[in-house]
Amino acid sequence: MHNAHSTSDSRFERVVLPHLDSAYTLARYLVGDPSEADDVLQEAILRAIQYFHTLRRDADARAWLLTIVRRECYTVWGHRGTRMNTVSLDVGAEDENSRVELADPGDSPETLAERNLVRERIIDAVDLLPGGLREAIVLRELQQFSYEEIATITGAPIGTVMSRISRARARLAESLRDLVDYGEIS
Amino acid sequence: MSDKQELGTLLRDALPQYRAPQSIHDWARAQARSQEAPSTHGRLVKRATEASAPRFLAYAAGLLIAAALGWTADATYRTRRESAAGQDALVAELVDNHVRSLIGEHLVDIRSTDQHTVKPWFAGKTDFAPRVVDLTSTGFPLLGARVDYVHGRTVATLVYGRRRHTVNVFIWPAAKSDTESESRRYNGYAILHWVDGGLSYWAVTDAALADLDTFRKLYESGS
Repeated sequence: MHNAHSTSDSRFERVVLPHLDSAYTLARYLVGDPSEADDVLQEAILRAIQYFHTLRRDADARAWLLTIVRRECYTVWGHRGTRMNTVSLDVGAEDENSRVELADPGDSPETLAERNLVRERIIDAVDLLPGGLREAIVLRELQQFSYEEIATITGAPIGTVMSRISRARARLAESLRDLVDYGEIS
Repeated sequence: MSDKQELGTLLRDALPQYRAPQSIHDWARAQARSQEAPSTHGRLVKRATEASAPRFLAYAAGLLIAAALGWTADATYRTRRESAAGQDALVAELVDNHVRSLIGEHLVDIRSTDQHTVKPWFAGKTDFAPRVVDLTSTGFPLLGARVDYVHGRTVATLVYGRRRHTVNVFIWPAAKSDTESESRRYNGYAILHWVDGGLSYWAVTDAALADLDTFRKLYESGS
């Protein structure tokens, strides 16, 4: 058995694979179900390998990969009707793949409980956003892409992106108004 | 939590970032390495997510195949994939066969881990000679082989192990129109189809679909 094609460190591995977790996070926020997100990610990776030549600059790899992931997510929805609006984020503490550390050792049980409640409220608020707004806000606030990058990823004009982000922020600020510092809302 | 925060900070603090399962990280790395070279890896057709109706792309591909079959009626060994429904029926039959092989006594007709024993065994039983590769060193030990009757024809079946799972590889001469690779899931089983050297391969397993991708690559590069 020999595999002559094996190279120890391919360009794809170096450039694209570091963004796997980021890609998976987007899939989780868009399709909700973990096993479906697994499927989406695997399909996206195969496609990314296949179309790797279309990635012009290594620096764009993350946005490029997430573009593919997003498209795969839409393919899933295409067969599931408008699932996008009824997605459940399912982000319980029991989720082994969640990177958020819930427990701060210094917290009292009361603080911890309150913190979790607040966190659940925030997650629910994002969950309830229409798909297009949720996607925009996750890409902007959680994954911190620029407006230009989000326009590329979602294939929408930048004006649309700005409008979606602004509407998402307005809705979240409304549903979380006791938590949000109004002075900072743009 | 009485302090109000800027919305972005609030979201970043509360919303989880996920880590992709380690198995996908490993699989992706293996995929990347083996696909750097121009390979014969076929176009990926969308697979059905669960046991539900096939997704649109698979369905459309099925229709295309059906259309192609319409005018290649001369294919001697053409399978009965006249329609997308026929394709689904084939997959169902292969999975049934796979399941029966696991629950019954009939996993293999010839139990052998020696490729040089298995290959000649097919002579006279099938009208084609499937390639038999032992992949024990790479995690797919050859368990044996059998001859099955699938969709109206005799097919050669190679049986490989994968950890505690079994991979059945059904092989028969490909119809001229049968060129597309395809992967899908059906009732919890993973199915990978490809065509190579004029033979049509359908690998079925209760292990992961990623295992079949790996298997195919190893099989194709093995000797």
